[in-house]
Amino acid sequence: MNEIFDTILSAAFVAAVIRTTTPVLFASLGGLLSDLVGSLNVALEGMMLIGALTAVVVSAYAPWYVGVLAGLAVGGMLGGLMALFHLRFKADVILVGFAVNIIAAGGTVTALNYATGGDKGTSINLPSKAVPSLDLSFLDAIPGIGPVLTQMFSGHSYLTWLAVFLVFAIWYFLYRTPEGLRFRAVGEYPAAAEAAGISPNRLRTYGLVASGALAGLGGAQLAMFNFVGFTRDMTAGRGFIALGAVLLGRRHPVGTAIAAVLFGAFEALSIALPGILPRVPGEVIHTIPFVVTVLALMLSSKRRVTA
Amino acid sequence: MTNGKIFFDETRRILFAAAIALLVALVIILIASKAPLETFETFIAGPLSSKRTVGNWIDDSAKLALAGLAFSLVFQARQFALGVQGQVYAGGTVAAAIALSPLGLSWVSIPVAAIAAMMAGAFLGFIPGYAKAKLNANEIVSSLMLNYIAYDIANLFLRLYLASPKSGLTASEAFPASAVYPAFIARTRIDLGVVLALGAVAIVWFLLYRTAWGLRLRLTGHNARFAAYSGIRSNFIMVSAMTASGAIGGLLGALFVQGQGFAKIVVGFEGGLSFEGILIAIVARNRPLAIPFVALGYGYLRQGAALMGYRTDVPAEVIGIVQGIVILLVASSFTLPGRALLNRIMGGSSAARAPST
Repeated sequence: MNEIFDTILSAAFVAAVIRTTTPVLFASLGGLLSDLVGSLNVALEGMMLIGALTAVVVSAYAPWYVGVLAGLAVGGMLGGLMALFHLRFKADVILVGFAVNIIAAGGTVTALNYATGGDKGTSINLPSKAVPSLDLSFLDAIPGIGPVLTQMFSGHSYLTWLAVFLVFAIWYFLYRTPEGLRFRAVGEYPAAAEAAGISPNRLRTYGLVASGALAGLGGAQLAMFNFVGFTRDMTAGRGFIALGAVLLGRRHPVGTAIAAVLFGAFEALSIALPGILPRVPGEVIHTIPFVVTVLALMLSSKRRVTA
Repeated sequence: MTNGKIFFDETRRILFAAAIALLVALVIILIASKAPLETFETFIAGPLSSKRTVGNWIDDSAKLALAGLAFSLVFQARQFALGVQGQVYAGGTVAAAIALSPLGLSWVSIPVAAIAAMMAGAFLGFIPGYAKAKLNANEIVSSLMLNYIAYDIANLFLRLYLASPKSGLTASEAFPASAVYPAFIARTRIDLGVVLALGAVAIVWFLLYRTAWGLRLRLTGHNARFAAYSGIRSNFIMVSAMTASGAIGGLLGALFVQGQGFAKIVVGFEGGLSFEGILIAIVARNRPLAIPFVALGYGYLRQGAALMGYRTDVPAEVIGIVQGIVILLVASSFTLPGRALLNRIMGGSSAARAPST
């Protein structure tokens, strides 16, 4: 037991949490923006997956940032597609979202097979690039805690810092700008917003496109930093966990970010545990992030009912 | 509109959606395959190429029908529980445990395993329903999380208790013959499972359209507030629909492992089929009696895609794209590819232009 605490309290574990949180954080911020305007985006999983593959394939032929931008763009396009079918053609947003997930699961394998010339499992023979890491080793100079800070915060992906910035940017947008107020109004009570001259469908389109773009970024981070290269179904439920973080985060960017960090921490724990507790079966450890998500969802929702 | 006209319109919409999806598949094959015509021929005609492939098509269709039935039951109550996959793993694992126990040496194991599998699935279906009714926890996320958990636990159980060392811990020994569903046509996978699937369709139809519970469930799905005003305990209806759907998912698990296809339990035996039940339920508009026909139609395409994956250079996963497009088109509400759509496009573009001018 002590070993577990030693691990959790170490600077290396904090660094691992930051790493596992980043993709989920992007996706959950995206999920927040579409949930706020009233369309729960269940397609985060599929958008991450397609974003990841696109980023990897593009980065094999272009600089890394072009790969990241391609992941972002394809995610945004998927969000636009969802908006088209949901808002214009009146399809249920959850069904549309699942259609995107299904297309993503099949389409990424098909596209990977084509891009690699016959490999259906991984992109290992594509010379894809990684997102560079930001070196903060100058923190060493701070007396006392410097080395610990370096271990925690140095060497993370550029995108990690972008995600941190986005939490505050989205908070600022939602709570300090007129357009953000409209965003929240549409989610709160669409009829009133419409009476005030705000078009709910326009904002819902923005919300879905933004959520797709952010999920695509999450996918890019996953396949160009957390892992370098694409493997089939590599998102492994992260998009759905991100959706759980949105629901857990009380529709607030900071709450959502805290929930994403919580899930990231348990994912990091499930990576670290096999080394500490070799006798606990790997399958059990693997369920930890999912069990935590279900439990967190149940407990937090209950409080909301009773309050 | 008469029922006949609705049926005709719906069929036309579905055929249109299928045609668009197949066109997209053809384009993908043209791009991806070195011998596109032969690949497309395998996709379209492959399932009829032998007695064995026809059998696989029928067997897949029976499984798809059960998966579709499980989804349609929760969709009818307007719940988006997506836990069928987890229920299949739970049911399959329980059925395998019974088939490999001493009970497996008698024919009794078939009904016992089916009932036990249904109970395991029903339990998994109950959890998200109860969590939603009592704790207000979103059923989409909780049921999806349970899928991952059930998959891991099923693998753990298989590795520790059921696996045969010879298989490298990824599969059990073959079940005794008495615990395997008898085949109706020798050397095909057409077995007792087809009968069970059709029986389940008939039972669900009866429950939905000939019992008070079914009426309440459909009312809750149509308009939950109206149902509540008329004294229906919608929470009870919701939880019971999700539990019954879970039982069907569990039964599907037994069908998988005890059918002629495997006759043993293997890691990942479900192979992603459960989620394809979403397509079946949506295209059948959640109506039980339409489900077997939709399952046969989609099962054919699925079998064609599988054969294409084995025999050609285009992976079977192309079927996912076909599936997604069909869901998108069938779930959306444009009526026909004719005047109405044209009007919509024209109207839509002029409306979009209006604000900028």
